[in-house]
Parts: sequence; structure tokens; C-alpha cells
Amino acid sequence: MALPISYHWRNLFVRKTTTLLTILVIGTVVGVFSWMIGFASALDRSLSVASERQKLIVLKRGATSESNSAIPVEDYNRLNQLTQIAHDPTTNEPLLSPEMMVQVSLPRIRDGGRTSGNVAVRGVTQTAFAVHLNVRLEGRRFSEAEPQVIVGRAAAKQFAGLQLGESISLGFGADRPFRIVGHFSANGAPIESEIWGYLPALMNAYNRSMYSSAWLRLSDGANPDEAIERIKGPAIQLEAQTEAVYWDAQSAAIRRYLLVAYILVTVMALAAVFSIANTMFAMVAGRTREIAMLRTIGYSGRQILAGFVIESVFLSMLGGIAGCLACAAWLELVGSTKDMFGATTFTTMAFDIRLTPGTAAAALLLVIAVGAMGAFVPAWRASRLGVVSALREP
Amino acid sequence: MTLTYVLMQNLKRNPLRTALTIVAFALPMAVFVAAISFVMLLARISADNERELRLGVHHRITLTNSLPDGMRRKIEALDPKGERLLAVCGMRWFGGRVPGTQNTLTSLAADADTFPIVYSDVDMTDEEIATWNRDRTAAVTGKGPAEQYGWKLGDRIELESSVPPYMSLEFRIVKIIDRAERANFFYFRRDYLNEARERIGQPDPRCNIFWIKCKTAEGLRTLQAEIDATFANTPDATKSEDENAFAANFTQASGDIPGLMQVAAIVVVVIIALVAGNTMMLSLRERMRELAVFKAIGFQRGRVFRIVLAESVLLALLGALVGVIPTSIGLALFPLKMLRMGPIGQLDVSPIAVLVSMVIALLVGIAAGLWPAYQAQRLNTVDALRRVA
Repeated sequence: MALPISYHWRNLFVRKTTTLLTILVIGTVVGVFSWMIGFASALDRSLSVASERQKLIVLKRGATSESNSAIPVEDYNRLNQLTQIAHDPTTNEPLLSPEMMVQVSLPRIRDGGRTSGNVAVRGVTQTAFAVHLNVRLEGRRFSEAEPQVIVGRAAAKQFAGLQLGESISLGFGADRPFRIVGHFSANGAPIESEIWGYLPALMNAYNRSMYSSAWLRLSDGANPDEAIERIKGPAIQLEAQTEAVYWDAQSAAIRRYLLVAYILVTVMALAAVFSIANTMFAMVAGRTREIAMLRTIGYSGRQILAGFVIESVFLSMLGGIAGCLACAAWLELVGSTKDMFGATTFTTMAFDIRLTPGTAAAALLLVIAVGAMGAFVPAWRASRLGVVSALREP
Repeated sequence: MTLTYVLMQNLKRNPLRTALTIVAFALPMAVFVAAISFVMLLARISADNERELRLGVHHRITLTNSLPDGMRRKIEALDPKGERLLAVCGMRWFGGRVPGTQNTLTSLAADADTFPIVYSDVDMTDEEIATWNRDRTAAVTGKGPAEQYGWKLGDRIELESSVPPYMSLEFRIVKIIDRAERANFFYFRRDYLNEARERIGQPDPRCNIFWIKCKTAEGLRTLQAEIDATFANTPDATKSEDENAFAANFTQASGDIPGLMQVAAIVVVVIIALVAGNTMMLSLRERMRELAVFKAIGFQRGRVFRIVLAESVLLALLGALVGVIPTSIGLALFPLKMLRMGPIGQLDVSPIAVLVSMVIALLVGIAAGLWPAYQAQRLNTVDALRRVA
């Protein structure tokens, strides 16, 4: 028979100060950890949504992103030769979307407008909605006759002045007001951080005669690699990538940032392991006679080892729950939005950091590992205690 | 029986706990000293920038809207006698990368005549300036790319631009900048870029930003207002910012690393305070009877207090040393260059950062020891002696 769970639970409260201090150490580490996992998973979610293999982005040769790519209309027209493009079943139009990308600097909401971020403004035509299939409108689509735009959900949450009915100044001299008539979501894909308007209207406002990029959807059977080769070839002479490859390259800088954060948290988590070990050693040392007594009445060394590990996992779980709660409170009170530059887009990708059940589960898993590691050596020592000499101790 | 003797005996009593505490203390301290070094590096860069008195003028809407290069003359005309401004240097974004790589360098084409004046902190010698003036392909690079690609002085290198018209240009390295804040920059002559563009029939001598070297902070402020007023309500309306304000636009967008480091430093202090406090409570509990014996044989309350407090401080300082020294050596031997995150690659631990860390450790040691020490001091001798451990 194993030691009763209630025995371990109640043991935690015999040394209130020590238990509390240990919980706080673990809670602090877990709080920071769950924030970071929340950020990393927001990034991953965003990128995994934007990873359709049948969707290609075409840029000018030498360009690294839509922001620094310029495709003259005659170059763009050569894309019509591509046989692998899918067609709209009703209108029979090719699913090839010319797009233009510019930036507008907008104040961040989270610091009250003290700093601004560069938000991507994308000029599109109706075809874009058939190519970017995950776009879901909340409200109206922009009109082609009037200066109107729609705003991605993440951008509206991160930057000021993007609510329905408000106007935003766009154009090379920022002198053309565009009214915001709708919001859109895209399952959390990076385009949720953008503002969309009618391509000819925006090209006119920015004095542009060239497109930035073309997005296209391949027909179901088409091989993306062949299409990419074809676009590179002498007939078209442009550069194409699948959507997944494109966004992955753009997020390289963000991943480096996360790497730094991971290093910091790992070191702190290790410190928590040592702190737990310390507490557990003290627990074992303070209960030498008690353990010897348990051995005398028939509990095996292995049961005692398991018992102490369980006790430590309890302790760390308490810390883990405290940490998750602290993280949730932080996100609620201080704010949960974060935005970062893509590697070369010169525009921000906005994230909404959420404490999802998955994140909490990851944090608690970490905590269980930390608790078990910290307790193993002290528990092992407890299980190997010489019964007779321990009973004799003062 | 001296205080030192008692302290050493106490630490040796439970060597396992001492070791665990020191390690649990040392790991966060290692993070702390790196974080604080980074924050100090940024503070130094920011102070340097302020001393350099540079004013950046770019298009009001975004940096990617270019400005006509004739604007340089107009800016210079605002102060014809040169009382406030020393020189104006127009710059054009090139966004070059080494062929076959993905990493875009912060590469800019700069006015050849004024670059050495406006960027006097690049520390070009007279000889280097002469080479820069003589050779149209001359380029000045930060340490980052130089180390990454193994460039040496005099090397001929090629960069491919990532902005229209996506030209490939050849440069000769005439200077490698030895400053952390310019680690990832690459400058070359703007007339060279313009000529190359003319040759392919796409001339466009515009600039993304003009950097103005000012003579006084006062002059910088008045010029800032004057320039923006001069170009207001034209298609080329400007926004002028000093170098720190300009850099702040990018700090937030790159994830606010300084903010992250500050949070890390605060979290670390909280953790080590808890760890130290925990250990002291544990050792106090274990040693209740012993302290009672001390009191019984005539140790004064103050002395008992000092014994417990000194142990906490000693533990904290030992932990800090074990964390700080390997980090300092580690960062000196293996800098974080592969992260390619601006100044973070040039991070090293300064003696002041070590000093700050030790002071923090000392304070934490005192704070963590105060309560247990107080408990020990007011221990009721008779009760404690009677208590079974």
C-alpha cells in the first residue's frame, strides 16, 4: 500500500514559510515561462495558418519581401502564361492577385501612443479574397469607388485609430483620408496585422505604377516546385516561394528573440530545481525519525522515495498554479499585445498573447519535471535511511 | 570564538545545502550580470549618441518615402554661417546582402564629403579618410559582418541590393568600425551608387534620411523645429529626430530587448531573494537549539543577530561570485555574435556590472537574513532548549 496522499499534502503545511517561499520561486519562474510559451505559440499558430502549399507569392528577383519588391505591370502580365494557376469555378477568372504593399506609422495602444509601429497597407482587388481563402470579413468589404479600407483584427487591437467608422490618412503625403468600413480575421495568420484597400486607389494615393507582389493559387494537382521553377525560368523571370517558406523567413528575427528569452528562462528554471532540492533535503533531514518509523511499520524504501517525489510535485504544482494565475493577471492588467518586425518586411507582425489551456499544460509539465528532478536525490536519500540509527537520533 | 570562525563552521555544517543555495543563487545571478551589462551597454550607447549631437531628418510618413537630395542644400541654407550645423550627410538605403545569403545588412550609401565629419565617432584616421575620398568603391563596415564573413582591410567584396533596382555592387573595405553601436552597419559612397544607377538607365539620386551633425544641443533643438517647419505642407514634409528618438522606433519593433532584459533583472532579484530567504529559514529552524545554547552561555542578542545575518550575506556573496565570474569569462570567450541582434553581439561584462551585481547580492543577503536574524535574536532560550528538533 502506498503512503496516503493526504499525508504528503498535510506535510506541506507543517513548514509554512519554507513552503510559501518555494512556491513563490516556482511561481515566478512559471509566470515568466508561460508568458513566453504564449508568445511562441501565438507566433507558431500564426505561421502554421499561413502555410498552404498551393499558395505562392511572387516577388521581383533580388527582393527579400513584399516591402522592397517592385513588379512592373508588364512583368506581372507574363504570369498569365503559367498553366498551373487555378481558376475561379464561377467566373473562370485565374486566381492571380496583384498586390501592393506600403507602410503607415501608427501609435501603439499599449503604451498610450508613446511609440509607433509600421503597419502594412496592402492594396488588393476582388481576386485577393479568392486567393487568401482564410480571410473572414467582419463588416463590409471596401468600396472600389470610395476611399475605404478594412483592417485586420490584430492590427486593430494593437494600434490606435483603427476602429470601425474612423478615418486613417494614407497616401505618400498622408493627405488622403480612408474610412474604415470593416474588420477582418484570417485565423490568426500574419495578414491579420495589415490594412487592406482597393489596389488602384492606393496605387494612385502613393504615386505608384508598379505592384509589389503577386499571390496566386495553384490548381489542385499542380506541383508547387515545378510552378516555382517555371516562374524563375526565362519566360517569366520572377521569384516565387510557397507561403510557408516566405513567412518562415520573415519570422527569423522573432525566433532569435525567443531564443534569447528561452535561455534566460532555462537558467531560472534550473535555479528553481536547486531551490526545490534544497527545500526537500531539509524536509527529509527534519523528518529522519518519522521516515524511519514509516519504514518500521512496513513501508518500503521505494514507496518512501515515491512519496517524497509526490510531495515535491505537489509543492511545485502549487507554484505552477500560482505562476499561471500571475501570468493570466499580467496579461489581463498590463496587456497581452506584442508586435515585432518581420526580418525584412519593415512592417510589424502583431500578436495577441493568450494563456491557452495548452500553454498552462506546458507550464505545469515543466513544473512537474522541475519538482521531480529537485526531489529525486533527497527522496532517494530518505529511502536509503538506516532505520535503526535513525530511530536512535535525538 | 570569532564571527568568522562561527560562520565558516556553519557553512561547513551542511555542505550540501550550502552548495545547493550557492548554485540556486549563482544561476540567476549569471542572468542578472548579463542583463545589467546589456542595459548598461545601451545606456552608454544612448549617452554617446547624445554627445554626438546628430539630428536625423526623414519623410514624415515613413522612412521608406524618399526625399530629394537637393534638400541637403536647403537644410544647409537654414544656417549659412554654420553657427549651429557642422555638416549634413544624405543617406540612401541599399539593404545589401552577400550573394547567396539571406541576411540583409544595415547598408547605406552616404554623402562622401560629409560622412567622415558627421560620423566622426567612426574614428577614421586622416589616411583612411584620404582613401575613402580617393576610391569611389570605398566602404566602411562594422565589426559584425566583418567577423561573420571574414572581411579584412583592403578586401574587395560584393553586395546585392534588396531594393529596386536590385543592383550588385563591388566594394573595397577601407575601415572596420570598432564600436558596438555600429557593429552591424555598412556605409559606402552615395556618388558610387548614383553612377551605377545612371549606367543602367535608372537614375534616382534621392535619400531616405539626412543626418545633421550639430554644434550644440541647443542648436540641435532649434534646427529640429526649423527644418520641420520649413518643409511642412509640401509633399516632402519631414520629421526630425535626434539619434536616440530615431533608434527608439526600432527598439520596440525588434521586440523591446531592453525591456525584456529589465524584466529579467527584476525577476532574478525576486528569485534570489526568495532562495536566500528560504535557506536562512531552513538553517535557522535546524539550529534553533544551538543558537539557544549560544545565548545560554552568554552571547548577547546583538551578536546572535549578527551571526545569522552575516551567514546570509556570505552565502549571497558566494553565490553571486560563482554566477558572475563564469559568465564574465564565458561572454569574453564566446560572444553572442551568432544571434545577430545588434549590440547584443558585442556584449561583454564590465567591471561596473560585476560591482552592481555584488551590491545587489549584498542587499538581497541582508534582506533575506533580517527576519531569521530577528527571530534568532528574540529566541526564548529556555523554550528553545527544551524543544525537540
